[in-house]
Amino acid sequence: MISKLLEMIIIAGIISMGILAILIWVKDKTRRVTSLRIFIQVASVPLIFLGLIVGPFGLPQFPPVGNAPRDIVIGTEILGRPFPDGLSVPVLACWYPSGRTITCPIWQMQAYLYPFWEPGIGFGWGIIYTTPGWERLIITFSLVILMAVLFGRAFCGWICPFGLYMDLLSHIRRAFGKAYRKMPEKVNVGLRQLRYVIIAVFMILSVILGSQAIFGIQLIQDTQKGGFIYSYVSAPYCQVCPMRPLCVLCEVAVGAMNSTFVFSHTKGMFYEAGYYITSINLTVLGMATLGALAYRRFWCRLCPLGGLAGLFSRFQPFKRVTLLKLNKEKEKCTKCGICKRVCPPQIKEVYELEGGDVTTSACILCLRCVEMCPYEGCLEVTFAGRSIFESRNWLEK
Amino acid sequence: MDFKRSIKEKKYVVEISQREVEELRNSIRAAYDKVIADYVERMKRGWAGRPKVMDYFYEMADFSRREKELIEAKSEGKKIIGYTCVFAPVELILAADAIPVRVSCGLYEPAKIGNRIVPVEVCPVIRSTVGAKIIGLSPFLEQSDALITALTCDGMTKLSEIMSDYKPVWTICPPRLKDTEQSLSFWRSELLTLKANIEKLTGTKITGKSLRRAIERVHRANRVFRKLQNLRKEKPVIMGRDAMLVTQIAMWDDLERWTEKAELLCIELEERLKENNLACPPDTPRVMLTGSPIIWPDNWKLPNLIEEAKPQGIIVADELCSGDRFLYDPVGVDEWTFEDMFTALAERYLMPSTCPCFTSEAGNEDRVNWLINRVKEWRVEGVIYYIYRGCMLYAMEYMRIKHALDHLNVPTYYLDTDYTREDVGQIKTRVEAFLEMLKARIEI
Amino acid sequence: MPFAGIDMGIQNVKVVILDDDGKILARSISPSGFEPAKAAEQTFREALSNAGIRRDDIKHVTATGAGLDMALEADSTISMVAADAKAGVYLLPSARTVIDVGAEESRIVVCDERGNVLDFTLNERCAAGSGAFLEAMARALEVRIEEMGELSLKAKGTASISATCVIFGETDVVSLIHRQEPKHEIARAIYDALAERIISMVHRVGLKPSVILVGGVAKDIGFTAALRRKLEAEIFVPNYPEYAGALGAALHALAKAGGNIQ
Repeated sequence: MISKLLEMIIIAGIISMGILAILIWVKDKTRRVTSLRIFIQVASVPLIFLGLIVGPFGLPQFPPVGNAPRDIVIGTEILGRPFPDGLSVPVLACWYPSGRTITCPIWQMQAYLYPFWEPGIGFGWGIIYTTPGWERLIITFSLVILMAVLFGRAFCGWICPFGLYMDLLSHIRRAFGKAYRKMPEKVNVGLRQLRYVIIAVFMILSVILGSQAIFGIQLIQDTQKGGFIYSYVSAPYCQVCPMRPLCVLCEVAVGAMNSTFVFSHTKGMFYEAGYYITSINLTVLGMATLGALAYRRFWCRLCPLGGLAGLFSRFQPFKRVTLLKLNKEKEKCTKCGICKRVCPPQIKEVYELEGGDVTTSACILCLRCVEMCPYEGCLEVTFAGRSIFESRNWLEK
Repeated sequence: MDFKRSIKEKKYVVEISQREVEELRNSIRAAYDKVIADYVERMKRGWAGRPKVMDYFYEMADFSRREKELIEAKSEGKKIIGYTCVFAPVELILAADAIPVRVSCGLYEPAKIGNRIVPVEVCPVIRSTVGAKIIGLSPFLEQSDALITALTCDGMTKLSEIMSDYKPVWTICPPRLKDTEQSLSFWRSELLTLKANIEKLTGTKITGKSLRRAIERVHRANRVFRKLQNLRKEKPVIMGRDAMLVTQIAMWDDLERWTEKAELLCIELEERLKENNLACPPDTPRVMLTGSPIIWPDNWKLPNLIEEAKPQGIIVADELCSGDRFLYDPVGVDEWTFEDMFTALAERYLMPSTCPCFTSEAGNEDRVNWLINRVKEWRVEGVIYYIYRGCMLYAMEYMRIKHALDHLNVPTYYLDTDYTREDVGQIKTRVEAFLEMLKARIEI
Repeated sequence: MPFAGIDMGIQNVKVVILDDDGKILARSISPSGFEPAKAAEQTFREALSNAGIRRDDIKHVTATGAGLDMALEADSTISMVAADAKAGVYLLPSARTVIDVGAEESRIVVCDERGNVLDFTLNERCAAGSGAFLEAMARALEVRIEEMGELSLKAKGTASISATCVIFGETDVVSLIHRQEPKHEIARAIYDALAERIISMVHRVGLKPSVILVGGVAKDIGFTAALRRKLEAEIFVPNYPEYAGALGAALHALAKAGGNIQ
């Protein structure tokens, strides 16, 4: 226990020194927050995948599956019963590696409907659920709502590994001296609405697939235990998600996942690349990569997970209690349009809204606009009404 | 063949004998040399304990030193590009290694000569610039190899036509609505055409690298420019007209040297602020100017009147395209690719502009916001809305601004004038009555 | 101890002498002529003799008006705008808008109950909004200016002229004469034009009741009638409206030198 604590202190020390170094080294005031953000994104990757927050190195990894250290701490020690999946933090990070801290809530939302509606041992997953699916769903939703109310979509901008991937792609594009493309406003707004359609479609699909357990009627064949769908297509959105292949490849690369296990499970044309990397996944990833090369933060514009975090922070009644907000002071704004131009997901509300709370459900709170706004105190980020960072005259070095 | 000749044909120019030109030029030049010397003398007298570095600006207030430098630069093969309006992107000129100078004329006598081409109802800036060109008076206008004119108001639009009789004129047309998607792309393409023109004249290609260097150069000037303004926020550490002169000089001085000197001035002023060494008593009524551009030297009558009046006032801020607006907004570049730099540049010259040539549903709210912000942050106690006879756009926007400022309980005074020196007496009574009122308000 | 105010107007110099309770002791007026300083001195002496006091009795003298620098006797100066506000509230305690129509200049002053100026406007650099306009028009109409007011009251209001400028106004009058419009109708049109001009100034500042009309032109019944017709507010015209500036200056002198006026 002490050695674990020591390790955590060392890691925290390294990270805080990194933050300090960035603040000192980055002389260009218009790049400080961005540099800090990239650093935090990079630092979060091991934290998310290796579960460093709760369970440090050297503990049982996948496979064999079993209770991860997190399950022991949060599940056994705090809740008093096994808690097999990570915290539902709205970032695209798969649940595969044991020792994971964070699990993608989209997966949880689907998986608790099908195939884990009933308590028991998940076949082939080696996970023991002691509670029914609806109870776990409530926990998931409560956690997502809590996170969203606390930090809004800041997870998307500051932690999400797929966001980091897109930011790195932007860096590569920039290194070639190529400019990003601007998405037509209609498409951009259309994608924003599409997010909720995606969530609805896959949730409904999960309910249909899990009809046997939930309603006692099997609507679709092969959904019973051991069936093809049960084994391969259990969480339908995950078959599409561009993050899954990336996640799995990263895990394999760091040795947290067994490569033979990943690549040997092939079946049919969709699963040629392997059990966890479907052809659909790879196609979507390819498209997302191309999209991110052309547009900044392409996937964030249609990410259902971001939509979920946005839903619980930017729509009533949650909007009233959200803590992290972007505020604009109308009279200090000269409408120079910088905020609109530098915004990675290309949001125009920051520019267009008169003043006050200008956060929208598309805003990933990356603070690029606040950082680039040249007018002192015009844009500011507030947490619980208290200003934590505001725009300044960045001409002053 | 025929088409070509019709272009060369003079469209507006009136025939005037060489002898008359020379006579007029010499007499007017002598007259305005006297005016400049007199105004500088008055400014010096008005601020006896001024910092030493101000002497540089007083020296530059006389155009002849810069004129000599321009002639020298020209002989070295550098190109000089004049512009009439703050819409001209100086970064592009600098990136092509040319020298930008603002050529709008602030002299009274040429305005009378300008009447030979344009009617008296036209605003004096246009008439004076036209008149100065007829007799070859303005040193900067004469030296410039080409002119950039922005089609903002009607006067500027026709001025570009008249000027094209004399030298190459590149017009850029700002859209009158800022917030539509087309307007920015249109404006951007206008600047791309301008870029091509500048490249053709100078023979220097504007690359991402040179543009970045130019933007960073102007950023340094922006920084000092803002610093000087921010210094006027708290206590009157510098006389308003001196600060305005420093601002004016940025329009024709070498930007790097100006930055250096202005920085020295700022450092000195910061010291003085700490020592509480003020240019005038701290309870002097704080006035803001807004409206038509005030151009050195002849328009200095108003700043002079305000700061020499009994009771005295001090100009702490202004909203003039020849004043605080000139270098206030920086180009905000997100990614240093050429495309993004250029978009940022285009946006910088279009979006934050508070020129009344723009309109929006909210009634040019950018200008209203600027004024409200100035009033609050610079603790402005009264606003003088300054109009040239013939300046339609500014004159028409008065009620809009007045209503906005009435909400803040800041009195506005509408002052209608011209380049003439004859109406000083009338303006004086008005300005003094206004300042007296401000003083009385403060005492209450 | 009496106090004096001198109004160095463009056409006339006016002097008012007050005692320390703010009661008017004497008034005096004479044309400015080419030597306003001399005229001022003479008018001042005249007022002194009207009041029956000596120069040394006067505690404080305040000058106002366009040529205030030429009032050599003055101990202090005050702008016409402030003088108007003070006089307006003195003459009519509920006055909040003071309209002063003078020979060459017109002023609209909005003030508070203590005679402090809140807002004001002056006519633009053109004489069309002042008494000079009436004089020029009377000349064009070939009537004496004193008679024109009486004349205009007979009219029904069938004619109209523009008041953008004295010169244009004159051509309008001439064309009306050619159309054989009766003289009284033209006279009314002239007053209406001036009143309209003044009213547009009033609206630019914002009208606040009550309204008091002062200045030399306020004596003209034609003009007051026209203004009353056009302005949707009651207008109070004091006796001796032309002395308002001098009165304001005298009130300033009184306040400055510590009198006890309520």
